[in-house]
Amino acid sequence: MIEVKDPGLWTTVQDMGRVGKYHLGIPPSGAADKYSFIIGNLLVGNPVEFAALEMTLIGGEFEFHKNLIIALTGAPMEAYLNHQPLSLWETHYVKEGDILTIKACPIGVKSYLCISGGVNVPDVLGSKSTYELSQIGGFRGRKLSAGDRIPINEPLPGASKQIGKFTPLEFVPSFHHFQELRVMMGMTGYLMNDHALKTFLNSEWMVAHESNRVAYRYKGPKVSFTEQHPPFGAGNSFSNVVDIAYPIGSVLFTNEEELIVLQNDATTGGGFITIGTVISQDLDLIAQSRPLSKCRFIAVTIDQAMQARAERTKKLDALVHLIKR
Amino acid sequence: MFNLPETHFNFGGDEYIYAEISRDMRIESNFKALAVTDELRKREIPGIIDIVSSNSSYLVRYNPDIISARDLLDYLKEIDLTKSDPTKLHFSVRIVEIPAWYDDPVSKEFSYRFKNRHPSPDLSDFEFVMKVNGFTDKEAFIKCHSETPYLITMVGFLPGTAWHFPLGLQPNEIIQAPKYNSPRTETPERGIGLGGAFNVIYPVNGPGSYQLIGRSAIPVVDQNNQLEDLKETSFLARPGDIWKYRPINESQYNKITSEVKTGKYRYKMKEIDLSPLEYAEKGKQYVQELMGDF
Repeated sequence: MIEVKDPGLWTTVQDMGRVGKYHLGIPPSGAADKYSFIIGNLLVGNPVEFAALEMTLIGGEFEFHKNLIIALTGAPMEAYLNHQPLSLWETHYVKEGDILTIKACPIGVKSYLCISGGVNVPDVLGSKSTYELSQIGGFRGRKLSAGDRIPINEPLPGASKQIGKFTPLEFVPSFHHFQELRVMMGMTGYLMNDHALKTFLNSEWMVAHESNRVAYRYKGPKVSFTEQHPPFGAGNSFSNVVDIAYPIGSVLFTNEEELIVLQNDATTGGGFITIGTVISQDLDLIAQSRPLSKCRFIAVTIDQAMQARAERTKKLDALVHLIKR
Repeated sequence: MFNLPETHFNFGGDEYIYAEISRDMRIESNFKALAVTDELRKREIPGIIDIVSSNSSYLVRYNPDIISARDLLDYLKEIDLTKSDPTKLHFSVRIVEIPAWYDDPVSKEFSYRFKNRHPSPDLSDFEFVMKVNGFTDKEAFIKCHSETPYLITMVGFLPGTAWHFPLGLQPNEIIQAPKYNSPRTETPERGIGLGGAFNVIYPVNGPGSYQLIGRSAIPVVDQNNQLEDLKETSFLARPGDIWKYRPINESQYNKITSEVKTGKYRYKMKEIDLSPLEYAEKGKQYVQELMGDF
């Protein structure tokens, strides 16, 4: 068990997400930066999908009530074990009574505390991920608070062989303040004119403060809609279509001056113009981008998207080879 | 046959395929979306993760490490072409009664609270919807809105939220309303909203941009599984079901909500077979036959 002394800014239990329930309006949830999450699990010798704690900007303080094997990955939060600095991207042994203090990160947003055996909360609709809007899954359906006692499974047999393993530098993300996000254009973008599409792709967009696990909001130049008559049933606004189910990663224009990219806790459908979809790998980059940081959207084809996916798989395979038991 | 254009397919990033049956809303498009997604679900294809039937489109999420994007696209195109013949379609669905308190005080209060986001800030949402649809008499509006049965054409947004669209009406007979300029940050739980040509019942307090015209006395989600009729999935809404509003007054509203609280309320429901072919051929008359004396 881990006792939460201080929950940090926004800490939840997450795994690889909930599938097969989108038609009920239940989004996948799951780790926001899957790449960092997966490496954390690999370091402690877990299957990649085991549940871990996802922290946001400021980590918090945790007391271990049994001996465990842990790894911290993701944004470089300043971490201390019993006041001694603790390295990220490396496997550590912690003892009953040890106190882990995780402070703020100068870059990035999300960090993961992965533990051999995984966080032991019940599966809800097939996943341990927290979906806060409907209080589904995770630890009692909510973010952690001080005094919570989080059940942890026994370390996997042989996990102690992982202690001291680390992630080589070339596998650690750089958490840039400027991101290039690859997007596949399409969906209902036909309601935007050519000029608006060019503006979308040629401009820098800035992350707004009210960005979270549901949606990232961006401010940028004004784009214009085509001002064709909206389709029947959609209402009378030029930014509306007949409501559709949104892919995770969809890029929506809510009005001519704001765009949204839907994240893992997305509202699953709606009637805003959807100009395209950010590829799954780059959702990790969005999750690590801080308010006021900037990005640019790069149009890619399905083949380029699959190429990006293959490169990610290849990279993780190489890492598995380096750090596996 | 349905008179529908060719479905337009799109890749949504590396994990989704979006299929648009029509840009505008038509009941036929929704029947087709239901038929194609039912067929796809039945086939239990490994690597297909989520299948969502939507108002006039559908969305499929898949794992491209298991199925190639282009192969799945071809596969979907074939199902889309061959499995939506209305002469072969039958849906087993339910008619569900929704007791509704129109123009209730809570909806009114929310109308005024968020009036700075409203296209017509001087009117309550209910008054606004009446006005833009040419009604001057409240009872006439309520009669018109509640008389029509609604088809559940999509579930989503927040868990258990169902878009429903009037059955058997011509486009010019449908009550419609513009949405809020900017979404409310709060909406009363069980609020009945109208946006474009669609109705929704908000399952929980949350954001929303549809005009609030009343409140359902009964919940559409029951996470504690207290109500007999919602035990199976916790959610009332199923795509293809038909919802029928019954106007109620304050005392009836209070009586039903207290039955819900004690877990005694039973939903008025009837199982029926819905034939898209008969709907296409007979329209309003078929809807009346389906409803019978419900």
